[in-house]
Amino acid sequence: MPEMKSLVRMTVVAAITLASTLAHGQRPLIDGLDRPAAKPAAVVFLYPEQIAIPADKPTTVTLHFRVAPGLHINSHMPTADELIPTTFTIPEDSGVQLISAIYPRGVEFALPLDPTTKLSVYTGEFSLQARIKATPGNHLVEARLHYQACDNNVCMPPKTIPVVIDVTGK
Amino acid sequence: MRRNTIVLGVVVLVLATFAWAGWANFEVRQQARARLLASAPQGVLVAGPVGGEPEYASPLQGKPAPAFTLEDLSGKKHSLAEFKGKAVLLNFWATWCAPCKIETPWLIELRNQYAAQGFEVLGISADDLDRGDAQKLSEEKRQIARFVQHEQIPYPVLIDADSISQPYGGLDSLPTSFYVNRNGVVVAAQMGLTSKEEIEANIKKALGK
Repeated sequence: MPEMKSLVRMTVVAAITLASTLAHGQRPLIDGLDRPAAKPAAVVFLYPEQIAIPADKPTTVTLHFRVAPGLHINSHMPTADELIPTTFTIPEDSGVQLISAIYPRGVEFALPLDPTTKLSVYTGEFSLQARIKATPGNHLVEARLHYQACDNNVCMPPKTIPVVIDVTGK
Repeated sequence: MRRNTIVLGVVVLVLATFAWAGWANFEVRQQARARLLASAPQGVLVAGPVGGEPEYASPLQGKPAPAFTLEDLSGKKHSLAEFKGKAVLLNFWATWCAPCKIETPWLIELRNQYAAQGFEVLGISADDLDRGDAQKLSEEKRQIARFVQHEQIPYPVLIDADSISQPYGGLDSLPTSFYVNRNGVVVAAQMGLTSKEEIEANIKKALGK
């Protein structure tokens, strides 16, 4: 018995030592200071993260997004051909079909230094309606929102963000 | 008893393997991060004059402008070296960039004003080019050409800024401009829309005035 107790003690000490080494090795997961600072995203997907809809039946869901303060993104119908529209898509092999997307109307906006050129933009929180059809079962869908953001003085390159939604067709 | 010892030994070995894997992963990521940071000159915003806006400080300032060769819309190649001996404004822009469109007429005016003193502008388009799709690529070039024609841009316009973005700081924002003097050294850099007066001041710096 004393041998057993000694063995257990040694094992516990070894496990604690190794666990602390493991934690140290995984430091990047808990110490964000070591990572290059990530730029805040111009647009984030807010909700819903999970939806349950009748299987094989077209259903409309509302998806909510937020544009970072001070920025604007072109609406789905920008005022000039060369401007990049905001578009929502779902990959074809996801088990969820995007039948159509209904985008909000953009707000009229002009840069202070060019008040005569009108843009159609989204700012702040906006939502779009996606009419979708899901096959039966659970589908973790990585949909996409493509947009191009600017503030009053600079524009950022077009970007696509993942819109991850857990869709259950029941 | 013997079995317990073996089981405990296996558990300790598995934990040790996890620990080693975690440490190795950390080291690899640190090295990759260091390589990435070392290779990309990132500009930063620094405090401007008292009461003024933050200014863009490029790590290229005071250094030779990175060499490049790009095509114009007709497919002809142009290199930065061609313009040695001239003061050059490298202006990165895109057709989808509204602030870029605001400053373009200023660049044209200033280019025409200072051309006789040995100044040139190189407009470098950051519009996406789908090289894998001939039809799309053709339409993208036409879109750039339409803008050049509409604005009556007299200076060379080159395409595919993405291919040289890394040595020029990543081009995360447009418009971005670098002012290069006659010796090929970057004397000023500018990110975002500023004023015609500020652009002119930087042109004079590049001309050595």
